[in-house]
Amino acid sequence: MTIELQNLGHVYPTGDKALNNINLSISGTEPVAVIGQNGSGKTTLVKHFNGILRPTTGHVFINGEDVNNRSTAKWSKDVGYVFQNPDDQLFLETVRKEFEFGPARIGMPPEKISAQLSFVAKLCGLEGKLDIHPFDLAATDKKFCTIGAVLMMDPQIVIFDEPTCGQDVEGNRRLCYIIKTLESRGKLCITISHDMKFVAGNFKRVIVMCNGNVLLDGDLKHVFAEVETLRKSFVSPPPITRVAYGAGLNETVFTVDEFMKVFRARKENNN
Amino acid sequence: MGKPVVEVVNLSFRYRDAPDKRKALDTINFDVGEGEFFCIIGPNGSGKSTLCNSLVGLIPHYFTGKMKGSVKIHGTDTGTSSIADLSTQIGLVFQNPFNQLSYTAGSVAEELAYGLGNRGIPREKMMEKVEYVAKLMRIDHIMNKNPLELSGGQVQRVAFGSAFIMEPSILVLDECTTQLDPLGSEEIFDIVKELNKTGITVIMVDHDMERVARCADRIMVLDGGKVSAVDTPEKIFGSPDSTSHNICAPDYVSVCQALKDDGCYSGRFEVKEEPTIAAVREALKK
Repeated sequence: MTIELQNLGHVYPTGDKALNNINLSISGTEPVAVIGQNGSGKTTLVKHFNGILRPTTGHVFINGEDVNNRSTAKWSKDVGYVFQNPDDQLFLETVRKEFEFGPARIGMPPEKISAQLSFVAKLCGLEGKLDIHPFDLAATDKKFCTIGAVLMMDPQIVIFDEPTCGQDVEGNRRLCYIIKTLESRGKLCITISHDMKFVAGNFKRVIVMCNGNVLLDGDLKHVFAEVETLRKSFVSPPPITRVAYGAGLNETVFTVDEFMKVFRARKENNN
Repeated sequence: MGKPVVEVVNLSFRYRDAPDKRKALDTINFDVGEGEFFCIIGPNGSGKSTLCNSLVGLIPHYFTGKMKGSVKIHGTDTGTSSIADLSTQIGLVFQNPFNQLSYTAGSVAEELAYGLGNRGIPREKMMEKVEYVAKLMRIDHIMNKNPLELSGGQVQRVAFGSAFIMEPSILVLDECTTQLDPLGSEEIFDIVKELNKTGITVIMVDHDMERVARCADRIMVLDGGKVSAVDTPEKIFGSPDSTSHNICAPDYVSVCQALKDDGCYSGRFEVKEEPTIAAVREALKK
């Protein structure tokens, strides 16, 4: 799986410049998080990965193929896109119909559809809710319905735009589980998120956007260590990371275990 | 706690089409005092939004279903008052900011002015307020844009502004910053805290436990439509079994617990950033 951006620029018809000359390459199956302030170009960026938006300048290659070669519909079997707002995506009268719509359109054989349906329904926690109208689902389930509808097409690359938005503890747990499961099945997940705890817990590579540019790109620890640079894009590290810095431990930690390791080492040094 | 401005007594509600006849709210009792910062937490489906709708009169006047018990805002029963009259006292910022829009305004400026116009506020006064709120919410650069062309985060700022501009004495916030970047939502909560200091009562639903712990005077935990606890953040989160409420305590509590397990901390479970940092510094010295 590779996504290659060469000098990608995007200007909206309104004249708003949303992306400036982005060069980026993503490969493999390690989940990638895209973070940054509102209006920094996160959604504009990922909408180029399946041709919802087309480059104004530069090129986007998916697995070596120019994204401009195909329509978004033709890309949908390879690149799935889960919208931020579930209401932008759902339109059929049952969860089952939502799930079966995409794969039928791309000509997936019926037996594969039914196998995929039971896998996806279980993964998204909707096994018992397949005959419910999507708009009668609770907010959390509605989100998982949109995720399921995309996963049904078995795309190699899955893009999530703000999946944690409005999720509770249980919903967050399920999202983590979905991302891990997809990775283990060889899929590449790219996720936009404002929830830094979620990012710290699930991703190794983090791309930080600011004013249409890539501000930082790298390993989670490296990125969250750049506290001052992060501020420029209205991002602050997760709570436990901030406590470690605040107490002068000067190391980037994301879990209580990591925190205690650094704490004990420091304490030993002090004595 | 100041004199109660919100009084909820034995409130139950079942939506008309509830598939399993389940009550969304089941015998809820609580008061909120004047000037209090009151947070409501709980898993999705626990009744938080339904409760918000009950406080501003959308239940029973807009959503149909079976309501029992009573909600009083400044002593006025929501059942016998109208949504319009209640809106002079209590404002709601919706979870989905697009639900807040009037869909009649062609620009952000008109959107902000919409409620004031309906209330017959003189034009001059109206423009003054619109300008003030736009600056405060940092949307003064998009005043001529169509609200439907904005990003999610921007719409949330507009939604918040259009509720706040009505100057309610009680502000109800239903997960109103889910689409904002981290510092952007902190900015909104700083504004809310400032408003609260000037005496406005705030009732806030949120999933960010660190933020809830930092802001709240008291927290109410909802689970399955019932109140499972009402107390200070320290009492709600500050014990290792706080997870029994089906919620996650702030990371600060876990740090204190780990320090205790190592035998280098014997203080209370902290629920805010600064005291936790102080506790860690102290533990380092021991």
